[in-house]
Amino acid sequence: MELFTPDFGLIFWMFLAFAVLFLLLWKFAWPAIMKGVDSRAELIDKGVLYAREAKEQLDSAKQQAEQFEAEARTRQAEILREADKMKSQIIDQARSEAAQEAKKEMEAAKAAIEQARKEAQQSFRDEVSAAALEIATQVVRGQLANPQAQQKLVDNILDQIETAN
Amino acid sequence: MKNLKLILALALMLVSLSLPARAAASASEGEGGFNPKEIIFEHLGDGYGWEVPFDHHHRIPLPVMVWAQDGSFHCFSSSRINNHVVYRDGDYAWQVPAEGDNKGKVCQLMPDGKLVKPKFDMSITKNVCALWIAVLVTLAVCLPVARWHKKHGFKAPRGFVGAIESLIEFIYKGVIKPTLGEDSRKFAPYLLTVFMFIFMMNLLGLIVVFPGGANLTGNIAVTLVLSLITFFCTNLFARKHYWKEIFWPDVPMFLKCPIPIMQVIELFGALTKPASLTVRLFANMMGGHMIVIVLTLIIFIMGDVAGTAVAGATSVISVFFSIFMLLLDVLVSFIQAFVFTMLSTTFIGMAREKGHDEVHGEAHSLEKI
Repeated sequence: MELFTPDFGLIFWMFLAFAVLFLLLWKFAWPAIMKGVDSRAELIDKGVLYAREAKEQLDSAKQQAEQFEAEARTRQAEILREADKMKSQIIDQARSEAAQEAKKEMEAAKAAIEQARKEAQQSFRDEVSAAALEIATQVVRGQLANPQAQQKLVDNILDQIETAN
Repeated sequence: MKNLKLILALALMLVSLSLPARAAASASEGEGGFNPKEIIFEHLGDGYGWEVPFDHHHRIPLPVMVWAQDGSFHCFSSSRINNHVVYRDGDYAWQVPAEGDNKGKVCQLMPDGKLVKPKFDMSITKNVCALWIAVLVTLAVCLPVARWHKKHGFKAPRGFVGAIESLIEFIYKGVIKPTLGEDSRKFAPYLLTVFMFIFMMNLLGLIVVFPGGANLTGNIAVTLVLSLITFFCTNLFARKHYWKEIFWPDVPMFLKCPIPIMQVIELFGALTKPASLTVRLFANMMGGHMIVIVLTLIIFIMGDVAGTAVAGATSVISVFFSIFMLLLDVLVSFIQAFVFTMLSTTFIGMAREKGHDEVHGEAHSLEKI
């Protein structure tokens, strides 16, 4: 069968043709194509990854912005509340300070009045005691005119000392 | 309804077209009888000169290059030896015998009237010419893709270049990379060349007139060369593990030591791989061509047996089936190119496989680093 016996000439030419084709494609086609295909696949992978990351970043940025806004709002409210508190505090303080001042003034006035009253009492007492002494001196001088009365007085005083001891 | 009319018109056209063909067939019958086997093998085989449609006597002349028995080189046009005519070139005479062992091959007509095969026959036959056309077509198909990649970088090509690129990528990413892994850069040029070349040869074989029509991949010499290259690639680049599997496989000792049963089986397996590659591609493509030719010849056979009217009717059916078979052959062209590439990749991949010890050792050396 002619079909099953390989022809030497055709084998030679086939080998040559294949070698030529292989060398040409090896030199000029396959490296560029393989590099291109591989790098493009890599680029697409990277691009998808990058886009995904960018989307994530954008999402997170949005979230962050919202968070910042919310924070700012709460902070604003806090500041307002604090200011309000401070205002009432200042008023309260002023009021209490005024009350204290008034109280102090009153106390000082009271003390002064007390002092004056005491001084008046003291001087009144001094005057009264001086007057009493004067009267007593006058009385004692009248009574001690006789010796009997003098003796009685001495006895009395001695008795008093004795009972005291 | 419209479709039915169209089909009827086509059928009528086919019948009317087949009439002159029938006439031509009867004309050739007058010369020497209608021999379908002859026609089939002429179309499947190689030849000096290339047939032109609608003419049985003229061929496109191609150079015949032979070394005579005494070692002298002769080159002449194949038109001089057409139709078994004797061509005399000084003291040398050449003829293509119509009968005998060397039927269809150019032979030296010795002075004593014997026909002797030349020392070497390096003629540019129909198949050789078609081979170079296939080389040019493959180059014309592949180089634009490379040019695109050099010029445009990462941009994806469109149109024809894009189609070819997706084909290349299909083989490169779908077959070569998963099988060979880190070796793919080393072997991909060969495997991709094999794929594109076989695919182009297959498709060119399906074109009936001049630039195609040669039954290239249905010729055992062509497939033999391809599978031998794969065989040498497999064995020359094989790792230690591959040889160990052949000469000292992991099987019970009595299977390999006193009588080398496993070694013989493994060696036989290594040798049958290229043989199976050769025959698979050859038989598939030759079968496809043969079916189409036989389907076409049925018209003439029926004409011979039952007359013109039956031949006309048969032509409608056989043309329909021929077209169907040709379309199927387009699919087979791709599948066979794919299968050849895939099997070559698998064989090389198996030969490049690392043994357990090697993998282990490598892991160790990596750990040390």
